[in-house]
Amino acid sequence: MSDQRWTVLGEKVEPDWAPERKWAVRAAIARRVTRHRVVVRTAMAVASAGAIAVGGLALVTWRSVGPATPELSSDRQTAPRAPIAVESGRGRESDGKSENTKVTVTELTPGTVLAPLPDRGGRGFTLRAGAARFSVPHDAGHPFMVAAGDVTIEDLGTTFTVRYVAVNQLNIAVEEGRVRVRAGDTDTEVSAGSSLQVPVSEVAEAPRRRQRPAGMVASSWRPLAERGQYEEAQKALRKAGPSAVRDDTADLLLAADAARLSGHPAEAVPYLERVLHGHARDPRAGLAAFTLGRVLLDELGRPSEAVDAFALARSSGGPLAEDALAREVEAASRAGDVTRSRELALLYQRLYPNGRRAKAVSRFGRVD
Amino acid sequence: MSPTPTLRIAWPPPDLVAGAPVVFEELFTRYGGYVARLAARMLGAGDAEVDDVVQDVFWLASRRLPHIVDMIQARGWLATVTTRVVRRRLRRRQFRRLFHASPHRLEVEAPGATAEQRALLARLYQVLDGLPTDHRLAWSLRYLEGEPLDAVAAACGCSLATAKRRVSAAKKVIDEVFGDE
Repeated sequence: MSDQRWTVLGEKVEPDWAPERKWAVRAAIARRVTRHRVVVRTAMAVASAGAIAVGGLALVTWRSVGPATPELSSDRQTAPRAPIAVESGRGRESDGKSENTKVTVTELTPGTVLAPLPDRGGRGFTLRAGAARFSVPHDAGHPFMVAAGDVTIEDLGTTFTVRYVAVNQLNIAVEEGRVRVRAGDTDTEVSAGSSLQVPVSEVAEAPRRRQRPAGMVASSWRPLAERGQYEEAQKALRKAGPSAVRDDTADLLLAADAARLSGHPAEAVPYLERVLHGHARDPRAGLAAFTLGRVLLDELGRPSEAVDAFALARSSGGPLAEDALAREVEAASRAGDVTRSRELALLYQRLYPNGRRAKAVSRFGRVD
Repeated sequence: MSPTPTLRIAWPPPDLVAGAPVVFEELFTRYGGYVARLAARMLGAGDAEVDDVVQDVFWLASRRLPHIVDMIQARGWLATVTTRVVRRRLRRRQFRRLFHASPHRLEVEAPGATAEQRALLARLYQVLDGLPTDHRLAWSLRYLEGEPLDAVAAACGCSLATAKRRVSAAKKVIDEVFGDE
């Protein structure tokens, strides 16, 4: 057999790539894309939650095995130990001009977050996490200050340690001299050998929500739908309201596509009905009727209404007529109208004796 | 050393511009039928299986859209992906056949064929079912789809020499079966 003959034979293998089949495949792809996005988002959410949980657990574990927390006490016999963790900490001297004005700050934990307060000439720090020990010569003209959340500690000539013992608990232990602790409206003086535990909360900052600049409008749904980003298009369409869809067939069909292919078939119905009522003479009205039939039958489970939609699509003629009649048989059968489904099935057999959907029509119409 | 296969631009439609960005809707509208036809010829299967292949191919395309150079190159890209998807399906079919779980007779969509041609197609796909998958794919692309050898090599993801060898091996078997007809 000649090679050419195989090519001729191969050309006979030609699947009928009818519009309805094309739409069915397209819709299946759109559903798959949507499903994939949901899966990815869920996986990311689960992974983030897992990471947060692990991080939280690690933090709790680290705190529970961390350096001993000084007890709240004013008894000199049970005075807090000097921070042994100095060895692992980093020391810094904020001012080394003279021994009398030297401030020594030692970070006691690896997770300590300490930042100098602006405009205080090295005599003020913000403690955001962890613990630090401060050794400060008193200077009445330039009081030394530590801010931790909404608590401020002011030295009165001392060496002291400030430590976060929990996210919302702060411990101030004084080794020498005195400090004044301001928590809320209460001032407490803590003297050498004593410690104080106070509740602490973050200094409230106004939430910075990104505002949409005035005059900026939500992105248009149309280009999104044309690019196949139906979910985004549907969101934009909802935001813009019904007036965003022009009263022409192309726009209405596109809006219907955005609705049904983003998984909101019920919202596609009004657009398709607008085509049928307002643009019945448009050549695409048959397509709109067919799509409406499919949405009603396959997506919304309303077979009685689907029968009428398919009948309308069939009456428009064209390449969809055969498929419309076949689906009409199916819709009538599902609606429980046995007589009509049988009549329509017989009509199909008469009009399309070798029709592609003959098998399905026979089954739904109960004709052999 | 075998020459590197290049993607054949067999049919540059006049309305396509080289380097123009690829839009999914346009890609699907333009090449959906091509992918369905290619899948049907390689698989020798009916509607449902072909639709599944088209769905798989365009699902992959939707995720790899930025990697497709332009609409002209897209045809070759889709041919390669279709061949891979079909290869996977054929191998699965062969595996299932070991357990008698795959139908032995598949209905081929050949609307314009005569009864004689349909019978010939049915026998041809029976013979192809007995060939190694890679040989079958190469032969189908070469003779049923009428692709030149460099395009066959590109679609099968092999060198030109390998493509020739596969086509020739499959052709030998087919000529033996159908030689006297």
